[in-house]
Amino acid sequence: MSEDKFDRGTALTIFGSDRHEDLVALILALIIALLVYLYI
Amino acid sequence: MVYTKRTPWTLIMGVIMVAYAYLVQSGALAGLIKYLGTARHTGEMLTLGYTFGGIAIAIGLWQLIAKNAEGHVDYYLSTIGGVTFIMLVAFIVKWGLDPQMAQWGRAAQPTLGFNFASVMNLNYVVMGIIAGIVIVNVFKVPDWAANGVRLSRLGLKTGVILLGALYSFAELQQLGKLSVVLIGIFVLGSVGVVLWWGARRNLPNSMTGVLSAGVGVCGVSAAVAAAPVVQAKSTEIAYTIGTILLFGVICMFAFPIVGKALGMGYITFGAWAGTGILNSAQVAGAALAFQPGGIETLKVAEIFNITRVLFLPIIVIWLAIWYVKREVGAQKVNVGQVLVSKFPLFVLGFILMFLLSSTGIFAPARHYQGSFFDNSDKVMIKKDRAGKEVNNYLKDPDLEVLKKDAAKVTRDDQKTALQRLIDNKKLMSIEDDDTLRGVVNAKIMSKEGNAVLVKAHRAVRHTAAKIAMFRDLIAWFFTFGLVGLGMQITMASIKQAGGQPLVIGSIVGVIKAVGSLIVVMLLVHETI
Repeated sequence: MSEDKFDRGTALTIFGSDRHEDLVALILALIIALLVYLYI
Repeated sequence: MVYTKRTPWTLIMGVIMVAYAYLVQSGALAGLIKYLGTARHTGEMLTLGYTFGGIAIAIGLWQLIAKNAEGHVDYYLSTIGGVTFIMLVAFIVKWGLDPQMAQWGRAAQPTLGFNFASVMNLNYVVMGIIAGIVIVNVFKVPDWAANGVRLSRLGLKTGVILLGALYSFAELQQLGKLSVVLIGIFVLGSVGVVLWWGARRNLPNSMTGVLSAGVGVCGVSAAVAAAPVVQAKSTEIAYTIGTILLFGVICMFAFPIVGKALGMGYITFGAWAGTGILNSAQVAGAALAFQPGGIETLKVAEIFNITRVLFLPIIVIWLAIWYVKREVGAQKVNVGQVLVSKFPLFVLGFILMFLLSSTGIFAPARHYQGSFFDNSDKVMIKKDRAGKEVNNYLKDPDLEVLKKDAAKVTRDDQKTALQRLIDNKKLMSIEDDDTLRGVVNAKIMSKEGNAVLVKAHRAVRHTAAKIAMFRDLIAWFFTFGLVGLGMQITMASIKQAGGQPLVIGSIVGVIKAVGSLIVVMLLVHETI
């Protein structure tokens, strides 16, 4: 996969920066943790 | 640019997933499930099959019918095809290839003299990555899946954050000290050696800088994070990533084989993999390959790995200062700004999840490896599903085995803990349990003696349902991430690891792997 195939993100991620990807991972993990806490 | 490709494949994969879940639910696949021995996975087969299949059908239909215009909706929904593709590969590997390979390994054992599936670590983690590598290099990742494959690193990072829920203060405090010392020596040492050697071999400063971060800290992420600091060109980043991936792939396969050959336990192997392997994803791959049926090795490896990642801001600052000093006319770097902008946020997420878990909201606050200690009569004598009373106290024959093996135990703390177990017919404290787990892992006693200790351990250790759910989710996030990672390892990226960077990176990598093996074998014990 070459980088110029995508005009957003990089060849390794759809996000614009590592920080953006980290933030999405954090939000996703917190939502999952909340669901586990509430329903399990 | 419109990212959505008009393809029926997302819809087809969704139908396959839902049909599979339905067949499992209806009992039509009972024979196959029994043959493969995957009955324990039927719950996740239904949940994941219906969930991912349902989403893929809905989005697949939408993408076929609707007019796809450029924008956020198109960009993010276009990942669904790739995500479904990776999950389908993961399903086939985890529920099909993995148990089948295990069977072939056992069947060939009398002829070959060894279980090749076990020796070669052909489990779902390794086969998932291999499947990814085969797909990208033989068949090519389809265009409609390309955007989704770029979510694999997000899967790995989410998995790492959730992993924080499995740690408790008591555990991390102890391993933390050791990991900081070990990692400190090897990370700073590796970075220093690469910088020194690169300068001696007249490599460009930007190439040396980005390679040192990749080899020293945490592989691809570190190389990418350090690149702007040393103003590295894209070809130099590609060279570094190629070197790291090639060396890391070899490590990922070689480490578990060496670990098993040396009879390493979960903790020693986890410490070695977390210290010696260059790339975070490959640390997880090696730990899961070493212990596919449990998560203890992964947890230890991840603590070392996280400690390594925590060195990234320090290395970034070091490189910034080093680069500024060496490059005439290089831009001045604001140290404080670099620290704030380069600190990996997912590491903060891991710490946050760990703090949440330590408050006791997922399991009793002093839980250990996701399980907690309770030796009260309420759990020692309980009723099973049929209403029959089950007594978990050790029986007289068990005690006889322990008394017979007691002479083999020489350490005072282990002798005392063992005697207390014999006197009370149950483990009396977390400390005693931890001490005697060391006896089990070090294989001091006979096979029967170890079995009694494991029985006593299981009687007082209870896994909270929430933690069990976290374990399953983490395993799937990592599987997703690693299959996707395999799909990014092209032969072109491996070929790029030629010349000087490959030589320097590989030699420093080997020194780090062997050095950390020696130090871990000398300093790390199978007790925490």
